[in-house]
Amino acid sequence: MPFEEDPAYLSKSRLKSDLVAHNVALPPAASKKEIYVELHLKHIDQRNAADFSSDEEDLVPDVADREEDPDHTEIPDPRTLTDDELKAALLHHGVKAGPIVGTTRAVYEKKLKKLLQPDESGKVNGAEKAVVYSDSEEEEEEEVEEEEQKADGEEEVEESVCTESEKQTAEQTDLAKQESSQAKLPYQNGSFPYLQCFMPSSRLHARPTSNRESKSKWNSRNAVKSSERSRSRCKEIPVGISRASSVDQHSGLGSGVPSGSQSVMSNGCSSFSSQAFSITQMVKEMESRSLISSSTDADRELNVSNVQEHRSQPIRPPQEPMKDIIKEIFPETGTTPTGIHATRRRPIKGAAQRPVQYGYPATPVSPATLERREMERRRVPIRIQILVFLIMACILYFIYVNLEDICVVLLDSLNQGFDSEDGYSLQAETEDTQVVSGQD
Amino acid sequence: MSSTSQKHKDFVAEPMGEKTVMALAGIGEVLGKRLEEKGFDKAYVVLGQFLVLKKDEELFRDWLKDTCGANVKQQGDCYGCLKEWCDAFL
Repeated sequence: MPFEEDPAYLSKSRLKSDLVAHNVALPPAASKKEIYVELHLKHIDQRNAADFSSDEEDLVPDVADREEDPDHTEIPDPRTLTDDELKAALLHHGVKAGPIVGTTRAVYEKKLKKLLQPDESGKVNGAEKAVVYSDSEEEEEEEVEEEEQKADGEEEVEESVCTESEKQTAEQTDLAKQESSQAKLPYQNGSFPYLQCFMPSSRLHARPTSNRESKSKWNSRNAVKSSERSRSRCKEIPVGISRASSVDQHSGLGSGVPSGSQSVMSNGCSSFSSQAFSITQMVKEMESRSLISSSTDADRELNVSNVQEHRSQPIRPPQEPMKDIIKEIFPETGTTPTGIHATRRRPIKGAAQRPVQYGYPATPVSPATLERREMERRRVPIRIQILVFLIMACILYFIYVNLEDICVVLLDSLNQGFDSEDGYSLQAETEDTQVVSGQD
Repeated sequence: MSSTSQKHKDFVAEPMGEKTVMALAGIGEVLGKRLEEKGFDKAYVVLGQFLVLKKDEELFRDWLKDTCGANVKQQGDCYGCLKEWCDAFL
């Protein structure tokens, strides 16, 4: 909101949205614009007004608290909220809070405070908690002023990235510098700086991290087309892409941003900021930059193997282990100017005038399969086996049934055969058979 | 992923029963004493707090830090320990 604007000059829908943004209950839909203006004046322009009447029925309890609390003219102090209100406020920020009991209340209050601050200033969560905790109240005041678009408040705030930067390009340098001093902390969070790279070139938004606030921050930044920050981050894209490991990218990018090279690199990058996002252009960018940077700063040599080294000092130690890991993984790779390493692919056999030089098997066959094929070739097929079995069974059955007759036939033939020989044994045999047949 | 300590493994191996707060991974003598002073004298009380915070990592870490002054590593160890215990037994 530009601070010059009088609520009376805002449209009704604009007033409505402003009221919603400030967590004020809207009057009935058919209300006149005057009512909206009134509410707007009362709730949003509180800081300006020394005193205002509190006779409207739509006054939210938070507002009353805000009036009384000297420290937080704009933000409801979580301490003064009831459990239900605290829960509602957290829900408003998208945090599904659990039961607010004695032991959990403190935690949720702190969380709400944290959520309220980034809403106004676009502060990053995570590594900056220490900062938040140490000067939370003073910062809130300043951020409150900021929201009014007062130029005074901005410079005092440590991270002021939100809506002001959209409108006031003159402030960008200051903001960038302030941010660079502060930005070292957030960029220890690996995913964060990586995302900034893609800001100017596409509408890729932050990954769904727990930092919803960072999302709003990015949204506001997206509007900035020619900011130095975007340029400085733009330069990190080719570096990031050329590296195989994404982890390296994150840390490398993060350390690159606060290096304070923005003003230096802005000239070099300015020609590229408006270009489309393409790898070839980035490669060119890198090469051209390598020429520029070598002249300006020896550290900035964009030798890819030393990418991590020319990041800012504080970030350097964490980079070392990752750089070493990369070298371990790819020990043979030399350094190339573009940092792109490509391994030669095995040529496709038989394609594109490349004759088949060695005989590849038509289909890859495992030794077990080969064995099995051999075996099956030599085995008798199963059907034939079953057939033979049935035939044998039938034969045996017939023998069993016609045992007598068969025996008689056999003995006769034996008798004839052994007539000249031992007659006693034959006789014994005939007796046996007679006994056997008798039993049958 | 960092490897888990022996303390962690011991805690997660069985139901906590009446174990003291010092049996939690990341909680040593000093932190344990502070927790006990605040009323969290048994591991299950800290578990209770963990569950009331809906097993949320950030909230639990914040709470732990505020209550006994645990550093980031200790917070992480304790959170991991309780989380794994819950996965196994809850």
